[in-house]
Amino acid sequence: MVYEFRYLAPKSKAKLCAMLLEHAQDGKLLAGGTDLLPNIRNGVFRLKYVIDLKQLPGAASLKYSQQDGLILGPAVTINDVLRNRTARRLYPVLCDCAHELASHQIRNRATVAGNVANASPCSDMAPALLCLGATAVIRSATGQRTIPFTQFFAGVKKTVMLPGEFLEHIIIPPAASPAAGRYLKLKRIAGHDLGIVGVLGTLQDGKRRFAVSSAAPTPVLVENVAAGDDESTVVKKVLAAVSPISDVRSSKEYREHMIGVFVQRLLQEVQ
Amino acid sequence: MFDTVKTSDLSHVGKNGHREDTIEKLTGEAMYVSDMLLPGMLHAQLKKSPHARAKIVKIDYSKAAALPGVRAIVTGDELDYRLGLYVVDKRILARGEVRHFGEAVVAVAADTAEQARAAVDAIEVEYEVLPPVLHHMDALKDDAPLVHPELGSYDYMAAAFTPKPGTNIANHTKLRKGDVDKAFAESEWIIEREYSCPSVQHVPMETHVAIVQWGKGDKVNIWSSAQSPFTVRNLFCHAFGLSHSQVRVQVPYVGGGFGGKAGIGIEPLCAVLSRKAGGRPVKFQASREEEFSLLPCRSALTYRIKTGVSATGKIVAQHMTMYWDSGAYADYAVNVTRASGFSASGPYEIPNAWLDAYTIYTNKPYGTAYRGFGHVEFHWAVERHMELVAQAIGMDPFVFRLKNALRPGSLTMTGEEITEHTGNVIKCLEEAAKAICYGNLTDEEKARQKKTGWKIGKGVAALQKAPAMPPFTATSVVLKMNEDGSVLVNLALTDYGQGTYTSVRQIVAERLGFPLEKIKVAFESDTDRDPYDWQTVASKGLLLSGNAAILAAEDLIKNAYAVAGEILHCNVCDLGHDGDKIFIKHHPKKSVSFASMAVGHALPNGNGVGGPLIGVGRYIAQGLSNLNKEDGQGNPAIDWTYGAHGIIVEVCEETGEFHVLKIASVYDVGRAIHPEIVRGQAIGGMLQGLGTAICEGYIYDQQGRLLNPSFTDNKIPTAKDLPLEIECFVVETPQVDGPYGARGVGEHSMISVAPALGNAIQKATGAEIMHMPMRFEDVWRALRHKDPIDNWITKSPIGSCRSAPEARPNG
Amino acid sequence: MKIKVTVNGQLYERDVLEHKTLLRFLREDLGLTGTKEGCGMGECGACTVFFNGKVMNSCMILAVEADGATIDTIEGESRGPSLTDIQKAMEKNNSVQCGFCTPGMVMSIKELLQNKAKPSIPEIKEAIEGNFCRCTGYVQIIEAVLDVTGRSKEKGELKHV
Ligand SMILES: Cc1cc2nc3c(=O)[nH]c(=O)nc-3n(C[C@H](O)[C@H](O)[C@H](O)COP(=O)(O)OP(=O)(O)OC[C@H]3O[C@@H](n4cnc5c(N)ncnc54)[C@H](O)[C@@H]3O)c2cc1C
Ligand code: FES
Ligand code: FES
Repeated sequence: MVYEFRYLAPKSKAKLCAMLLEHAQDGKLLAGGTDLLPNIRNGVFRLKYVIDLKQLPGAASLKYSQQDGLILGPAVTINDVLRNRTARRLYPVLCDCAHELASHQIRNRATVAGNVANASPCSDMAPALLCLGATAVIRSATGQRTIPFTQFFAGVKKTVMLPGEFLEHIIIPPAASPAAGRYLKLKRIAGHDLGIVGVLGTLQDGKRRFAVSSAAPTPVLVENVAAGDDESTVVKKVLAAVSPISDVRSSKEYREHMIGVFVQRLLQEVQ
Repeated sequence: MFDTVKTSDLSHVGKNGHREDTIEKLTGEAMYVSDMLLPGMLHAQLKKSPHARAKIVKIDYSKAAALPGVRAIVTGDELDYRLGLYVVDKRILARGEVRHFGEAVVAVAADTAEQARAAVDAIEVEYEVLPPVLHHMDALKDDAPLVHPELGSYDYMAAAFTPKPGTNIANHTKLRKGDVDKAFAESEWIIEREYSCPSVQHVPMETHVAIVQWGKGDKVNIWSSAQSPFTVRNLFCHAFGLSHSQVRVQVPYVGGGFGGKAGIGIEPLCAVLSRKAGGRPVKFQASREEEFSLLPCRSALTYRIKTGVSATGKIVAQHMTMYWDSGAYADYAVNVTRASGFSASGPYEIPNAWLDAYTIYTNKPYGTAYRGFGHVEFHWAVERHMELVAQAIGMDPFVFRLKNALRPGSLTMTGEEITEHTGNVIKCLEEAAKAICYGNLTDEEKARQKKTGWKIGKGVAALQKAPAMPPFTATSVVLKMNEDGSVLVNLALTDYGQGTYTSVRQIVAERLGFPLEKIKVAFESDTDRDPYDWQTVASKGLLLSGNAAILAAEDLIKNAYAVAGEILHCNVCDLGHDGDKIFIKHHPKKSVSFASMAVGHALPNGNGVGGPLIGVGRYIAQGLSNLNKEDGQGNPAIDWTYGAHGIIVEVCEETGEFHVLKIASVYDVGRAIHPEIVRGQAIGGMLQGLGTAICEGYIYDQQGRLLNPSFTDNKIPTAKDLPLEIECFVVETPQVDGPYGARGVGEHSMISVAPALGNAIQKATGAEIMHMPMRFEDVWRALRHKDPIDNWITKSPIGSCRSAPEARPNG
Repeated sequence: MKIKVTVNGQLYERDVLEHKTLLRFLREDLGLTGTKEGCGMGECGACTVFFNGKVMNSCMILAVEADGATIDTIEGESRGPSLTDIQKAMEKNNSVQCGFCTPGMVMSIKELLQNKAKPSIPEIKEAIEGNFCRCTGYVQIIEAVLDVTGRSKEKGELKHV
């Protein structure tokens, strides 16, 4: 980096929270750094401190229990998930999204927590966490709070986390049977690229859900699909929940069209 | 030369020899300028313009100058130099006015990059923002702001170019052949259409980088990732008024160029910083973002073509107008216009032709050479046009192409006659068509179509290109024999990955009759030590340097024979040789080894004869002429390389998504000196061509700010973007004056990939796409007859993406 | 900040600027310039190295994060006089043009072959999708991987017609 900053690597959560509070204005957390470092390099973030969370005890732990489900520490990488047998067996949808994220090298480094904490509209992990009913465990110096991911995103690159808080765990609830589903991500090239739009469709215990990325200020979950809805009703419901824009990647019109097509494809494919 | 010898009779040429540079590159030992650090070296960073056009009111760098580590700060005001090869129109740093987003305004050199960056951030520049002219069609309007009001005072190469002072036209190239009006009047059909493409970045993986040390006594040392060390030296000396003996340019390994590193680049910038910093070496390495907006790109093009066709499907007349958007500086872009002008019809015979090609200034990053030198862009237009003309007159596009393709006896647009030796575009087209089973779908393809619901289509497109270079372009090669009888080859043509050195090595080994292992081509190029080469551009490298290498080998052998004759006391004409020694043909045991003569031979009594053995070869392009500026007639081409691509694509009509299932590429290379290298060029260029076809291009906002100056939003093809199947073929119609019959193919592989894809998409779905790249959305829009998304540039006055088919029976 | 890092089997103890990337540390502080910078943004893969056994973009890692880590770079390949099998296959298959992407490419292929003895063509493409190569068009690189896994039959060639 051509911009100078200091590096802090607290070894306890208490220290981390204290540092976060102290540097609420001039510091940021570092997980895999694949979002943070490009932003520092481009001068978008002018930071005095970078606070690494990877030295926290248990930061990289990825655990499953029948009672709690899958619990991801904040340093669990995308490829940690993809390499994990339990995740592949019980949460294929999570892996489908993970597999669409960036390149292999980046997936070796980028974390799931960093992906959602970053709150980019084109987050590829958010659709899975939304459809699977995951919750965010948020910690601060004074304690912990748990909120569902449906309430986690507050706007473009904004979450509900307050200064001094960080995402301590992601919990994906256990399920009697794994959700079936598929993530369709439209890209400009076949190689790694941010999505023009991404639609995840899942079916679990007879309930259909859709989550859409790159189509609104935040990733969006659509849950109001009824079993008897015909295709065009479902498409309408999904489109009603999103508000795509025109930008260098695509026009609003094409985004809307493709969301509709993807929803139709998912209705046929995900059975 | 040696074009008639059969490949089977050759020992090295035509075989896949080892590449000398590979091991160093595979182990990370190869040294690029980016890897170099010199003692006392400073790092440069730049303050760049956030505006497309603005007056520089005031620059305050007092705060920056006081920061730690800062050794030099320069602004345009103190630099009264202009740079350029063809039109001398560019300053080292903006002076008085900025002309494009990302243009360098102030340069800082400091002990560390961090210090230089901090200093740049502390510099305050006050601008008076002026309305920019962004679209090249707008720039032609009477009331358009002038990008270069002082155009009339610039130097330019008058033999080839025609700037129009008082306008934004940096050059007007004309071509007139036959009687166009009469031929149109006699045409059965007239079809007129317009095609366009945006600016594109070369994307060498190593960005531009240079280190310059301006030493005492104005001795300047330059290390640069440049394509053409001698041209850097020449232009540098001209700009600064230095003697050529004061400046030395060294080029080690270069991480890709593709034309963007031709001419002169950032060297003068580092030089003025070094001079101001008291002679400490200064390094500047462009960031990837700077590579997009500070450094040159490929020009955008709008191309209108009107074609008159006879009742039998022969083209009888063509009226062509090219509008090239050179951006803020047109130095190199004017030559792209000129070279595209004389080749503008593609490989087809046009008996009556009228062409106007304009290079137009706008307030955008500037255009330069890029692999294909305009041919990628205008072949997009021409080869889409051939498809649409054929469709309009109800003829199969492939048949239409064959009917009009150049063949022996045809005259090119500049009046050059095609001969049996020129190359065979018809064969290329036929082979490309055969390789994709053009014209119908196989049972397998039909089954696939049925299963996926995606439509399969097949398209072909032909291509041609000749080197674009001054008619007197020359090169030289020097061979030096080492003490052990091995040979070192020196040349200043650079090899930045295209493999020319490997081919030159094969040619030298072949002509000397030596084993390959005995030949080494020195990799770094150095203007102080290597013999002259004009530039590494234009796919002329192998042809000119290959010939020079043959002549150098002959010279070396001649010199060695003279010494051997003296030693062996015999007639030189009675001598023969192998890889080790020279012998008397009728007494083969009487011989003398090359090693014993290499640096001078000692006779048994101690007397010395001979001296270090060297061979010199010079080659200058033959028979080329300047083109007449009024009618464009003359002989511009040392060789024409023809080729064709065939593409199979499957398209989803509902979404515009598509996959390229197969691409078959065919080139008439004269002779493949190293088949695997030819294939590497063919595939590498094809994928670059596919990038241009499907995703690459500059996107600006209404103020002229580049919105996608990085890989985040300017994607290039990855391994996953390869077509499922790729086949490469060569036709070998030897080039009489090419080394062992070879001709250039470095650029050609990129040309006409896009129209072949466009034609295949049209065949599959009927989508008429006139603008590239063809993103999924563009295909979708074309299928719904919606206007194309026009986000490549601010609104175009005549809708550069739109084009009404004006097929009409004449009269 | 002081760090201890093992690079290509050698332990280095260095005082390093905290904002410095691992890429710049390797190139500038250790003189290991085989690892290249093509973008500095995690996109191109020219800077790919092994970080504790997995390939990562060294431009996206701070040098201080490598404290206690094991790093392997292109300089650690072929430490003896001869090339590794991957390098040999790339040499044989004309997989290298300008060479700027090559070190990173070798790293990615190495990880792929560590995890999978005989990867399919789509698996090879996936493993190197994060390594941009502007010169070769990838095909001869993919063929080198096929070659090293004993599947040279699938290779294409230039056909003369
Ligand atoms: C080349 C490239 C391609 C990419 N492609 C994709 C893609 O296809 N899809 C996609 O979704 N993303 C993509 N990304 C973005 C990025 O890789 C992902 O978002 C990644 O998952 C972020 O994780 P990280 O660990 O690297 O985050 P970091 O960069 O470490 O952090 C991201 C942000 O979140 C904050 N943060 C991190 N962890 C926490 C926490 N536990 N609590 C609170 N705040 C935290 C940080 O302060 C920072 O602001 C790409 C990035 C690159 C460089
Ligand atoms: S330099 Fe690290 S990914 Fe490009
Ligand atoms: S060989 Fe040049 S980028 Fe790959």
